[in-house]
Amino acid sequence: MSLPEQTSEIQLPTTRIHENAIKAWRLSSFFWGFTLYSIPGFLYFIFTVEENFSMLFPIISAPLTVIIHVLIFYVFPKIRWKRWRYNVGENGIDMQRGIIIIKRTVVPINRVQHVDTKQGPIYRKYGLSSISLSTAATTHEIPALDDETANSLRTLISDLVRKVKEDV
Amino acid sequence: MSEFRRQHPIAAVTQLFLVLRQNIVPIAIFLFVGSRNSGDFFWLILLFGLISTFILGGVSWYRFTFRVFEDELQIKKGIFVRKKLYLKKDRIQVIDITESIIQRLFGLVQVEIKTAGGGTEKAIISALSKEEATQLRAILRDQVDVEADADPNDNLQNIKDVESPLIFWKLSNRDLLYAALTSGNFGLIASILAALSGQIDQFITEENLNYIASILPGYSKLSTILWSILFVIILSYLVSFLGVILRYSDFKIEKKEKELLITSGLLERKHTTVPFNRIQAFRFVEGILRQPFGYGMLFVESAGFEQKENDRSIVMLPFVQKDFLRPFLDQFIGDVEVPETIIKPPKRSLLRYIRRPNYLLLIAIPIMWIFWDFAWSLFFLIIPFSLFGWLEYKDAEIRVGTRIIQLQYRVLAKTTALVRRKRAQASDLSMNPFQKRKNLASFHITAASGAGGKTFSVDDMDAVDAQNLLHWPLPESKL
Repeated sequence: MSLPEQTSEIQLPTTRIHENAIKAWRLSSFFWGFTLYSIPGFLYFIFTVEENFSMLFPIISAPLTVIIHVLIFYVFPKIRWKRWRYNVGENGIDMQRGIIIIKRTVVPINRVQHVDTKQGPIYRKYGLSSISLSTAATTHEIPALDDETANSLRTLISDLVRKVKEDV
Repeated sequence: MSEFRRQHPIAAVTQLFLVLRQNIVPIAIFLFVGSRNSGDFFWLILLFGLISTFILGGVSWYRFTFRVFEDELQIKKGIFVRKKLYLKKDRIQVIDITESIIQRLFGLVQVEIKTAGGGTEKAIISALSKEEATQLRAILRDQVDVEADADPNDNLQNIKDVESPLIFWKLSNRDLLYAALTSGNFGLIASILAALSGQIDQFITEENLNYIASILPGYSKLSTILWSILFVIILSYLVSFLGVILRYSDFKIEKKEKELLITSGLLERKHTTVPFNRIQAFRFVEGILRQPFGYGMLFVESAGFEQKENDRSIVMLPFVQKDFLRPFLDQFIGDVEVPETIIKPPKRSLLRYIRRPNYLLLIAIPIMWIFWDFAWSLFFLIIPFSLFGWLEYKDAEIRVGTRIIQLQYRVLAKTTALVRRKRAQASDLSMNPFQKRKNLASFHITAASGAGGKTFSVDDMDAVDAQNLLHWPLPESKL
């Protein structure tokens, strides 16, 4: 990351995360999404108990929930993947993420206290790992990298951290 | 101090009061409800509860022993589960000495020792005489300050050097009064309301309300609401007035070799130590009542182990003139750079700033309409709200130097935050779809504070400016 030159246009970080991220996120949010159906379910329950409660609430909320579910498990993972970019340079780590609101974070390398890699069951199925960086105040995660990249990146970051700290 | 020893026996009593204070609400409810229903039996339970707490306090006092052995503070405690805490001198970060009311009656203090690592490891020795506490602090501190193994006499010499303040600053009584008068904290209203509504739900019954309404002059639904709002405002103003007097009476800040020592409080004296190398950021807050007079409050963010958000920031100057800030920082901290390059939000974000406070009306007016037919007249509030937005725009500013960044923004109070480059933990930029259309972005910088972080933000900067700022905290970057 040959950064600090002052620029007059937006320069995004260049590295993308693994494409399998979309599949993994779709799978997990497909299942999590089912918890949403408890809302129309609950509204229907109230309708059966309470006389004055309008039938419209469950009727409207049911298809709405289906739409939200589809958004969450089909549309969002793709946007999220498209948005996710990162760079690891000798000065710092630059990350961009977000679905509706774009967020970009830069963590100076000498602020990093430790680096972990993590892998849940769904990530394992797709051969993915995520990296998390901790500073004294914050924790940041780069999700869905293939195992090899994740491991080499973790080693790279901790090497860079060591190098900077020795310099001081 | 190399033999295991106990605290002052009064520790057992302070323990009792601590337990009582922590459970004040259930106890009050218990007293209130119980005394009506169950007669003598109830008092027996209460007595049994008190006695057992007292005995437990006594046993835990008996089981609590501590000593300083070689380079460690060793504490053994626990009634059923024995716990041994060994704190290495050079890991000890902060030593706080507090005097609560009960302890002050007996000339005792509480010593709180916090270390780095392992999350929230801290040791509390709750009753020591003042001399013992200062001695303990000196013993634990001197190793940090002086590496050499000196003989005891030399140590004493060092203690004196470390302990004597280089310079100090005191809050005058006149300033204390002004601070209390201008402290009217409107955020407090919300918290008081929240706290009360949790407790007094059972008192708000139809009957009580009707009764209150009947004794109030000129009763109508609206006037009840207005009166109660006025009442809450006056009450919260009084509470914050008293709060300031209690907390900042006899406020004193001393500069020592390696740390700042802050002492304050009327009933409960608190001594806080802030080592220079733990200082992360400064924050100057000009409340809306104070700003017109050119006064504000200075906080310091220090890396430590305080979990609770409210306790993390340490008050450095409770009431101070803005012009005095620079001389103060130069004298007490030294080497605080004055950032020169000024970056402001662009003209095109002015409209967003003006619009933002008005969103509140958009939500509030329809709700008010339920209670009040003339709620539409609140639309006139658009004018002051917009002016306020314009003020927010005017105050938003970032100043950058080579080693320090200054973020200035207004939420209600105007805040000026100073973060050293090597203390910035992360910088962020966020952009919602509306900002993206206008090529704007909000800029945030996070410094460590307590066990977590404190984030300072300036909204609606030019996206390219924000991007360049994003890389400012990196080592060797130039701007």
